[in-house]
Amino acid sequence: MRKFKKWILGIIATVASGVLLAGCGFPGLSGSSSDTVRIASQNTTEQQIMAYVIQDMIQHYSKLNTTIINNLGSGTVSFNALKNNQADISSIRFTGTDLTTILGETADRGNVKATDDKVRSQFNSKYHMTYFPSYGFADTYAFMVTQKTAKKYHLNSISDMKKVASKLTVGLDQTWLERKGDGYDDFQKLYGYKFGNTYPMQIGLVYDALESGKMDAILGYSTDGRIGSYDLKILKDDRNFFPPYNASAVATNKVLKEHPQLKPILSRLNGKIDLKTMQNLNYKVDNNLVEPEVVAKQFLEQHNYFEGSDK
Amino acid sequence: MAHMNLLQQLGYYYQQNGAYVLSQFTRHFLISIYGVLFAAIIGIPIGIFIAHHSKLSAEVIAIANVIQTVPSLAMLSIIMIGLGLGVNTVIVTVFLYALLPIIKNTYTGMRNVSPSILDSGKGMGMTRWQILRMVELPLSLSVIMAGLRNALVLAIGITAIGTFVGAGGLGDIIIRGTNATNGGAIILAGALPTALMAIISDTVLAWIEKRADPTQK
Repeated sequence: MRKFKKWILGIIATVASGVLLAGCGFPGLSGSSSDTVRIASQNTTEQQIMAYVIQDMIQHYSKLNTTIINNLGSGTVSFNALKNNQADISSIRFTGTDLTTILGETADRGNVKATDDKVRSQFNSKYHMTYFPSYGFADTYAFMVTQKTAKKYHLNSISDMKKVASKLTVGLDQTWLERKGDGYDDFQKLYGYKFGNTYPMQIGLVYDALESGKMDAILGYSTDGRIGSYDLKILKDDRNFFPPYNASAVATNKVLKEHPQLKPILSRLNGKIDLKTMQNLNYKVDNNLVEPEVVAKQFLEQHNYFEGSDK
Repeated sequence: MAHMNLLQQLGYYYQQNGAYVLSQFTRHFLISIYGVLFAAIIGIPIGIFIAHHSKLSAEVIAIANVIQTVPSLAMLSIIMIGLGLGVNTVIVTVFLYALLPIIKNTYTGMRNVSPSILDSGKGMGMTRWQILRMVELPLSLSVIMAGLRNALVLAIGITAIGTFVGAGGLGDIIIRGTNATNGGAIILAGALPTALMAIISDTVLAWIEKRADPTQK
C-alpha cells in the first residue's frame, strides 16, 4: 500500500510540474503566452494562405502577438477550438458547411443570402462568434473528371454520371463521406445513384490521383489551382446539391472585445479576394513550391495591405 | 515545376522560402530546447536525490520508464486533452520524454563515483554539499551530459510530431509536402533540416561531454 502511494505521488508530481510549465510563456515562441491572438487553420492550402494573410494583416496594423494553430483536421475541429477558447480566429469558414454541420440544419439550396444571414445570426447568438462578411470567393465541392473521361462518357453534369456510376472509381474527401446534410448519404438520395468504388482520400491528393488515371472522377474544391493546371472538367451540379459555401473569417466575440482594433483590420479583407485570385494563390502553393506564408506576404505587399480601404 | 528534378526543386524551394524555413527551424529548435531545459531543471535534482536515497531509485526510474513507453502521438493527444492546442502541449510532451534519459544518467553518473573517493572527501572534513559540488558532480558531469544529449535528440524527433496539435516547427513543412502535388521536394525540405538539427546538436553535445570529463584532461 505504501509503495502504491509513492507511485501516485510521483505521477502527481510529474503532472503538476507539467501543468506549471504550461502556464508560462516562453520567450521566442509566439503563442505560448496568454495575450496572443491565435488563428486556427485547417490542413488545406487555402486555409493556410488565409491564416497567414490574417496574421500579416494583424502584425501590419497592430502590435498584437499572433500565432497560427496549423493543420487542424476539419472544420468541426477548428470550430471546437474556437468554442473551447483554444483559438480566437478561424481563418476560413464556409457558411454552407457551418449551416449543415455545426448548426445541423438543411440548406435552402437556391437561396445563398438566407443561408448567410442565418449562419451569421446563429453563430452570434448561440456561440458568441462573429462571422465576417465574405472574402469575396465561394468554395464548393465539385465533381471533376479529366477531359478525356468527359468525352468518353459524354459527361457534362453530375446527373450524366448516373448511367456509368457503377463502373467509376471515385476519390472523395474523407470528411464528406460522413457528413450530414450535404454528405454522401444525402447525395445518393437526391441524385439517386452511388459509385462503384469510393476511396476516401486526403483532399490534397485527389487531383493528382485523377490526373494520373488512378481515379475516374473525384470530388474536390472548386478553388483549387490544379483544376486549371491539369485542365480538369468540373461537372455541373444540375440539381443544386451542394449548398453555397461563401468563405469568411470567423472570430470569437471575446477576442474582438479584448482587442477592439481587430475588427477593422479583418474588415479590410471583405470582398477583396475573388475566386480567380484564390485559385491563383492556391496554384502558387500547390504547383510552384512556394510556402503559404510567402504567398500571403507577396499578395499583401502587392496590394499594399489594403491600405485606405477601411470604412 | 515538373521539368526540374528533385534536387533542383529542393534548391528552388529553399530559394523561395528560405526565411520561412529558417523561422520554422528556430521554432523547432526552441521547442525542443525548452522541453529539455525544464526536464534538466527537474530531472537532475531528482537524479541526485535518488542516488543518495537508493531506496527510492527503483520507483522513480520505473515511473520515468512508464512515461517513456507511451507512444509519442498518444502522449501528445492525452496532454492535448488537458492543455489544448498549441505549442505548450508539445513542450510538456518533450519535457516528459526527456525526463528518463536525464534522471537515469544523473543517477548512474552519481552512483559510479567510486566510494573510496567519497570516503577520502569525507575524511578531509568536507560537508555533504561540498562533496556533491566538488567531487560527485564534476566526476559524473560527462555521464549527465550524455543524458542531455540523448534527451535533446529525442526531443527534436518528438517536436516534429507537434505539428498535429498546431505547434508549428519543421513538421509543418513535412505535412504540407504530403498534401501537395509532387510534394517530394517539400517533404525533403522539411525532413533534411530536422535530421541536420539532430546531428549537429548531437555532435556539439558530444564535444561538450568529452570536455566535461575531468579524467580525460
